[in-house]
Amino acid sequence: MNCQNYQNLLSDFIDGSLTPEDHRDVAAHINACGVCTETRNDLDAINGFCLEHRGEYEAVPNERALWLRISNMIEAELPARVPSAIPANAGWWFRLMNRSWQLSFPQLAATAAAIIIVVSIFAVVGSRGFSGIGGYRASGLAPSLGSGNVKERYRSQQEVIAYWNERVEMNKARWNPQMRETFDKNMSVIDAAVNDSMRQLTQNPHDEVSEEILNAALNDKVELLKEFAAL
Amino acid sequence: MLPAIDPQMNFYFPVTKKRVSSAALPALFLVFVIVSGAFAQQRVSRHYPAGKNVRIELKNLSGTITVESWARDEIRITATMDKPAVHFNPRQTDTGLVVDIVADNRDRRDVGDVNFRIQVPSRSSVDLETRSGQITVSNIQGDLVRAHVWTSGDITLSGVNAARVFASNTTGNIFFDGEFASGGTYEFKSGRGTITLQLPANCGFHLMATAPAQKIKMGDFWNTGMKLLGEGRRITGDVGDGRASVTVTNYQGDIKFLRR
Repeated sequence: MNCQNYQNLLSDFIDGSLTPEDHRDVAAHINACGVCTETRNDLDAINGFCLEHRGEYEAVPNERALWLRISNMIEAELPARVPSAIPANAGWWFRLMNRSWQLSFPQLAATAAAIIIVVSIFAVVGSRGFSGIGGYRASGLAPSLGSGNVKERYRSQQEVIAYWNERVEMNKARWNPQMRETFDKNMSVIDAAVNDSMRQLTQNPHDEVSEEILNAALNDKVELLKEFAAL
Repeated sequence: MLPAIDPQMNFYFPVTKKRVSSAALPALFLVFVIVSGAFAQQRVSRHYPAGKNVRIELKNLSGTITVESWARDEIRITATMDKPAVHFNPRQTDTGLVVDIVADNRDRRDVGDVNFRIQVPSRSSVDLETRSGQITVSNIQGDLVRAHVWTSGDITLSGVNAARVFASNTTGNIFFDGEFASGGTYEFKSGRGTITLQLPANCGFHLMATAPAQKIKMGDFWNTGMKLLGEGRRITGDVGDGRASVTVTNYQGDIKFLRR
């Protein structure tokens, strides 16, 4: 077998679902082949990261609306159902849901207008309510993002950093001591910038300069980790 | 332990006091040659023909990079390597020359320092990058000068008159002595270290400088039209005609403007 064949078996190898013979065969090849070892390490890292972060996901703004849209799309794909007769003892909800809606163009336009008005009212009321909770907006030259957004972005960047950090740690053993020392020293410089910006933002959540430095420092950190992960 | 030598030129090891026969001399000499060879630096020099507007890209792992202009229409690269087995394969392209020590030595564990001295026509563009080590560029007037040190290393750009200049490191000083072209873009960024820009008195640029409070020293380039933002951590404003765009960022160190 060539490397491509072995790499096709790597996922099963990691899962432990190969036959003992195949497992031995793949293990022997990995021991002898640097490329496949690296692929196995990468798969291991991805697998470990997924297991570690299982259950964590970005919540969609309106989960129920999303599922309704998906459900609508699935229903649209299905063959049209023959309208069944509504039982005499059916409730009003059942009757409403099983009714066939056929709207004329003016009715459709009026419905759309009503939806737009209702959504606008909710949006205005909602945004006022949000401002009321915040109680403060930056008086800077440009509108600043709320601290919630900063924290959210910080959190998502930290996940990316955790992934690359793991890869760097895997490779670090191969580096010479001088390289390790240089890397750690420079990473601490970037970490200091991140911590300093976070401290400033805690004191003044609408400080644009600190927000920009935080973003730049986090990006620098990711780039540095990516660069050294390849070593 | 080093051997002692008696007047008859025989070697003695002080601990064992056993006599080493003179027949061992050639063997010892051979060992000396092999050992000294292993620690010797290897120096490689190559020449490439080049037009006046050539572009050179260099990606190094560790070591110094020195680029300077000369009056010939050719590129000369001299690489001094700590480890003799380092792969060094410059690649000629349509626009110039690419040297990628990182890619050439991807499977090697310890490449050691590779120090470069590169001589190019003055109208060349240079794009230099290293994981660590000092970068020095002198008297280049091409379209682009980019110097990036991923970790530690000073960057010195002197006599540079390019339309686009980018210099960045994490630890180390950045020194720029040159001119800003009208409409040009200039970015300098450091994590810790001093960024010094030495400029002619009549230069014009729009500035956005960011550093910790009290660490931006505008010197003679300060004017009342400039704005201080973020409790003095950012200065923005125009100097002269404001036609070049200059961005200077330092996370922890100083930013200094000096008049030439």
